[in-house]
Amino acid sequence: MIKFGKGNLRIPKWERPVYAVAGGLTGYRKRFPEYKLEELCMIAFRQMLEDNDLKLDPLEIKGLLNYAAYGAFADHFQDQLLCEAKVHDYLGLDPLFNTGIKTGGATGGSTVLNAAMAIASGYADVALAMGWERMDEVDTKTGNFYIATAACKDFETRLARIYASYYAPMARRFAWKYNLSEETRAKVAVKNRLYACYSPYAQQAGRHTVEEVLAGKIICDPLRVLECCCMSVGAACMLLCSEEMAYKLTDNPCQLFMAGGTHTLRVADRRHMEIPLLPHETPEMYRDFSREAGGDRWPGFESFLAARFAAYLVYRMAGIENPLKELDLVELHDAFTISDIQTYGDIGLRPYGQEPDYIESGDAYFGGKCPANLSGGLLGTMHAVGATGIFQGVECLWQIQKKYDKFHSNPNIWKRWGKKKPADWKSLQVPNARQTAWVSHAGVGSHVTMGVLRRA
Amino acid sequence: MKKEKVKLIGKPLKVELEDPAMVIEWPRTLVHHHTYGQLSKFFEGLKQGKLFATLCVNPDCLEKKLWLPPRADCPDCNQPMEWRELPQPVIGEIFTFTRVEYPGEGIELSTPYWQIDVKIPGLCTIPKGYLLYGEPHIGMKVKAGFRTKKPTNTILDLYWIPLEKKLKK
Repeated sequence: MIKFGKGNLRIPKWERPVYAVAGGLTGYRKRFPEYKLEELCMIAFRQMLEDNDLKLDPLEIKGLLNYAAYGAFADHFQDQLLCEAKVHDYLGLDPLFNTGIKTGGATGGSTVLNAAMAIASGYADVALAMGWERMDEVDTKTGNFYIATAACKDFETRLARIYASYYAPMARRFAWKYNLSEETRAKVAVKNRLYACYSPYAQQAGRHTVEEVLAGKIICDPLRVLECCCMSVGAACMLLCSEEMAYKLTDNPCQLFMAGGTHTLRVADRRHMEIPLLPHETPEMYRDFSREAGGDRWPGFESFLAARFAAYLVYRMAGIENPLKELDLVELHDAFTISDIQTYGDIGLRPYGQEPDYIESGDAYFGGKCPANLSGGLLGTMHAVGATGIFQGVECLWQIQKKYDKFHSNPNIWKRWGKKKPADWKSLQVPNARQTAWVSHAGVGSHVTMGVLRRA
Repeated sequence: MKKEKVKLIGKPLKVELEDPAMVIEWPRTLVHHHTYGQLSKFFEGLKQGKLFATLCVNPDCLEKKLWLPPRADCPDCNQPMEWRELPQPVIGEIFTFTRVEYPGEGIELSTPYWQIDVKIPGLCTIPKGYLLYGEPHIGMKVKAGFRTKKPTNTILDLYWIPLEKKLKK
């Protein structure tokens, strides 16, 4: 679509408010032979029901559920179709209705959005959003090929069979057009992997330097190994409900606004179009983008229409005028350093063309204006694909419920996942965090959801 | 009812790991039967050294440029499109590129190689391909080449070669 029809830009409106009250995670690992997938889902489910200070007994809450949305990215990783039915039965939720959600890397976000729609419409008063991925049944190269079948199989997959090769050309073009340095890219990897050091759930925590990132093995140039997320196993879940139920369940409910966008699976097919403007942007800001001149095009290879469209809708849905000022923290889809940076412009943390400044200014760091990926993100903590967009939402929820410490500092949680809490552990709780957003992203921007959570 | 016992005709699976849990090897080999559908002309064309794109001929449609990768139907007005052969030589310009060093399983090209995105005049798209030899840069002119001998019957039958003289070895 290059021109919007009258109705296309309608702002989504819930029929009634939607709340998030609790979340559950597992540890994330490259290989997890200790547990079957449904067993991992049960662990996340228990944490959600038992450890979130909910006011009712876990089984009473279970007795209030009406619906479940389940996210899993790729059936061929597990070689198990209808895994939703296995998990649902394992959690003891039959015969409540459940739906399987599948939108690539954005599966987790789409799953939360689907469960939110069930609450908003009145289908459910209490709904479960759960996601998972088991990527350890195949070796890494086969896993990369499986993921690359989420590029166009006729025209793109055979050209590398690894997703990094679809992001690397975007990284090169972005650097050429906007003067993004390799060091800035590397700083994203250093930052997110460092924040993962404070998370008991993290798979790839590490204290790295910019030099170390840049000296790393090249996957598809210019992207180095530490700039790419890895294969994960794990699950995540979130409990959504109506306003009445929210206050029955917790003194700490958070209101949820959420929307999504999509764009072509093939970067090749991104045609030039006008930029849909965010509430704080003006047409003058992007005068140079408004015509296809000198090779300039939007979104080109630099930006994501789907992310911009999701932000366009959700900011208006939530009444957000200026995201950098009004969001206390964000969780972004840093599958690659470059995809993280590209998104800063799409969601208005910086104007297009100035994305690197979000990192260089310090805004993106703990203590900065709007810190990003304090969870460790995909680079540091996990990308168990179907769970990712739920994990990000749960980390946002815990931040605005002031529960970062509760879920990250407890030595028993570290021990549960076979780790020792580091002696220099520090809290990444953002003081007085009230409002936060997270981005769940698929393909080269084929599906993107953006959720906003606000302390009620 | 037969008295014969059911025989095992499969093979026992190998145990790969016993601790902390039992992990077995689960072999999986399969062949898919994939159609190119209405795009068959495009892939047939590659084998004959021809590059076909599609064009929406609906006069009311806003998109006047060619589609490559081709599509049988126009996404803007939803009407069937028509084939157009690109005049030879097909010359494009490198929009961006990457050197693929660590490919996924089953890669059919020797690594490392340059994956390139090529901007071609008259197209609304910027198709992906690979450079047969040479070193790319943004803006570099390249010419389409075709694997007409021993074709793979895939998109790999289209490649690009540098049009610029080598400046340095």
